[in-house]
Amino acid sequence: MQPTPEVVLAVVFLPFLAAAFTPAVYRLLGERTAYFAAAVALVTLGLVTDQYLAGAHGTVSFDWIPSLGISLAFYVDGLALLIAFLASGVGVLILTYSGGYMHGEPGQAKYYATLLAFMGSMLGVALAGDLVALFVFWELTSLSSFILIGHYTGEEASQYAARKSMLITVSGGLFMLVGFVLLVWASGQTAAIEGTTYSIPLLIEHADAIREVLTASALLVPVLVLVGLGAATKSAQVPFHVWLPNAMEAPTPVSAFLHSATMVKAGVYLVGRFRPLFLPEEAAVLGDWTLVFAVLGLLTMTVAAILAVSATDIKELLAYSTASHLGLIIGAFGFANTYGAEAGAFHILNHASFKAALFLVAGIIAHEAGTRQIEKLGGLRKHLPITAVIAVVASLSMAGFPPFNGFYSKELLFEATYYAAEEMGGVAWVFPAVAVFGSIFTFLYSIKFASLFFGDEPDGLGHVHRPPVAMLVPPAILGALVLAISAAPNFFINALIGEVYGSVVPGEAHSFSVHFPTELTPYVIMSIITIAVGAIAFPFYDRIHDAINAILRGPVRANWWYDNFVEGLTTTSVAVTPKIQTGLLRTYAAWGFLGFVALALGGYAAAGVSMPAFDGLSVSIPIVLVLLVALVGAFAVDVAPSHVAGVLTLSIVGFMVAIFYILADAPDLALTQLVVETLVLVIFLLVLDRLPAFYGDAPDRLVSLRDGVLSVAVGATVFFTVLLSTDASPDPLLKEFFVARAGVPAEHGPFFTDFGGGSNIVNVILVDFRGFDTMGEISVVVMASLAILTLIRMRGRGEAQ
Amino acid sequence: MSGSSGRTTVISQTVARIAVPIILVTAIALLFRGHNLPGGGFIGAVLAVAAFALVYVIFGLEFIQREILGISPDGSEQHRLVESYRWMASLGLAIAVGSSLAPLAFDFPFLTQGVLFLEHLPIYGELEVASAFAFDIGVFFAVVGGLLTIVAEVGNE
Repeated sequence: MQPTPEVVLAVVFLPFLAAAFTPAVYRLLGERTAYFAAAVALVTLGLVTDQYLAGAHGTVSFDWIPSLGISLAFYVDGLALLIAFLASGVGVLILTYSGGYMHGEPGQAKYYATLLAFMGSMLGVALAGDLVALFVFWELTSLSSFILIGHYTGEEASQYAARKSMLITVSGGLFMLVGFVLLVWASGQTAAIEGTTYSIPLLIEHADAIREVLTASALLVPVLVLVGLGAATKSAQVPFHVWLPNAMEAPTPVSAFLHSATMVKAGVYLVGRFRPLFLPEEAAVLGDWTLVFAVLGLLTMTVAAILAVSATDIKELLAYSTASHLGLIIGAFGFANTYGAEAGAFHILNHASFKAALFLVAGIIAHEAGTRQIEKLGGLRKHLPITAVIAVVASLSMAGFPPFNGFYSKELLFEATYYAAEEMGGVAWVFPAVAVFGSIFTFLYSIKFASLFFGDEPDGLGHVHRPPVAMLVPPAILGALVLAISAAPNFFINALIGEVYGSVVPGEAHSFSVHFPTELTPYVIMSIITIAVGAIAFPFYDRIHDAINAILRGPVRANWWYDNFVEGLTTTSVAVTPKIQTGLLRTYAAWGFLGFVALALGGYAAAGVSMPAFDGLSVSIPIVLVLLVALVGAFAVDVAPSHVAGVLTLSIVGFMVAIFYILADAPDLALTQLVVETLVLVIFLLVLDRLPAFYGDAPDRLVSLRDGVLSVAVGATVFFTVLLSTDASPDPLLKEFFVARAGVPAEHGPFFTDFGGGSNIVNVILVDFRGFDTMGEISVVVMASLAILTLIRMRGRGEAQ
Repeated sequence: MSGSSGRTTVISQTVARIAVPIILVTAIALLFRGHNLPGGGFIGAVLAVAAFALVYVIFGLEFIQREILGISPDGSEQHRLVESYRWMASLGLAIAVGSSLAPLAFDFPFLTQGVLFLEHLPIYGELEVASAFAFDIGVFFAVVGGLLTIVAEVGNE
């Protein structure tokens, strides 16, 4: 069934609308705004469910920028619905939980408004069926997460974390945009698609043709890497994982929502969404796609798992483990065999269920025990019995312990790596080995998290309160979900994951099922190794933890690179700025002109333009005379002894140009030139008597030389620009269009809009055909006047201070 | 520029008295005939500003305030004059944007300009009304306001 357009629109824009009203609601309800926001999320969840139950599948599209072929298209399929379920469903729980957690916190109206806007952006990402729409919503999630991470605006750590996540995820998004543009370009090169398209389903439908074009122009791997950069930065893949642990400065509900269930899933979603586009049905075992994503994913899974073991803070541990599990999903999607797609699709759901529960548990611990330091926590079972049960269930699932749901998806990953290795042989055996190695660390930190609830209470632990009901119910629901998926995995696969699986594999899609292993297969052995080694190593957890921390120093840490990079940028700009902004008009002009010359000439060189053929001069004698006078005037400006003489001689040049326009049959231009020249002259005279007689001493020779070279360069650039731009004439000639359209048509009714209706073509162009330009220009004039006004007034104020 | 009125000659003042009204009328004429003959909102506006600038140069800033606007020479009043220029610029921008938005109400795209022929009018007979003219008036006021703000503020320095 086709999705219902109104419902899909409501799903995406209802949260934004609610966000706009949140400040007003906050005045009315105060802290109970949480339940308003949760209700909005619930309605959204209901709308998503409605589409799911109706079996919606297909595209709904609204015109956005029709002249560029960009539309606000939404594509509903299994993958989109799953992510939409996570965004709205987890949203309901998180917003309810916030009602308890955010009690007495500052900036609540902003907090709920941003969370709702974030939810809308995430739903937009999930449902977007157009590359531009996807990009816009994608960056909106980055922006809203920036605000949420920096919720405690006054704290240094919050600011650092918010900047870091923004810098990394937004720049990744820009790389992704370049990849999108290349995809659109490729769509224009194929005969299969008419014109170019931004439509994602259309691109996927013609995946073979697109791949052919990209391969032929050696762009397939660049596009893969560009889109991959977007996914990797958003999903915190190595080496971009550095922002995720810092993002834990955000309030815990935000961490649970953005950094486990939704925003970080956007990268995973992207990989899943583009998998059928880049991965042919009969792909090589170790094709480009697998090389990029399986390697990236498994590397992240292992590195982040090791880092999670090194963590000293429970939220940091969960952050690294999130990066690790996202690596697992991306790695799984990387494999060309069916198990890879199955593992990735199934683990999206499993990870969201247990990790959101664990984050909420971490929030309860932090809130009620007053600390997040692992070494200061222990024996929490006595104080938080219900929380303990949830934590144990979710941790075991995260560890991949049978028969919990995490076990099934991890088994599928093992199968995917094993079969890939078996088919390829040789170096591909690294895949299963790395998968097992990474999983051992996953097992270790998962058990460590669960062990916080057992053993003895450390001395420093004060009284641990009971959490309010609003904080206990959401993780309990998530825990129950983990149990439900564990008990009947095939039910969830049939209901949800089968569809997702269909979205991420090319060609004929079919569902799949998982079974509890009853015989000893190679991948069951892999699981046994993981658990056995993990169990043996667990008593030495503290020693492993210390050893990793001992190794992680200096350049080994990705953070070291980030900090030095940002620091380097800052010092460079601090060093460069005083050289460019000296406060002397001369310097500003010099740098501005230099930039202009370098950019223009560089552009010509890059575009490889050639000089137009020179076919003799064909100017009349009067024009030559006028230009000669202008030339004399130009020289006279240089040797003018005073400002007044300089301005007057400069006017000679201006008036000569005006006469030149008259001779060239351009009365409009001539008129404008004359009037503007007069005005400039008058304004100069107004200002002149305030200026010093001359610039003191003559500038030294080096400066004169520099200025001379620069002015010659500027003149030459303008000269070339005029030559080149007048050489290119569009076909049919632009002027013919304007001549035909500017006047009153021979046959016309009392009212028409497609003709200019005036015989002065220049003015008709200005106000009619290029009206938008003119509007921009008058805005610039007004802006300039306001700028001068503020500059002059502010200067006075500055001196007074 | 307040002190400059003493330095200009009687000749220049007399010429300015005659020239300025002519320039202003020419400016407005340029605005009106712009659709069919050389002219238009921008040129008209620049010419009008040139007339004002001439007054500034020859009579000084105080003259405009004291003689034309009847404001006593005082620092804050000067600001009021610039304020009115600023309003003029905003008004022009508003007219231009408003006239561009108007077609949306009639289901035409943004910035669509139309031409209407009014027939059987007394005296005129047939009259051509181009919606682009409203836009042109917006341009005129925006540029006059903007440039006068600059001239007055810079000249005041």
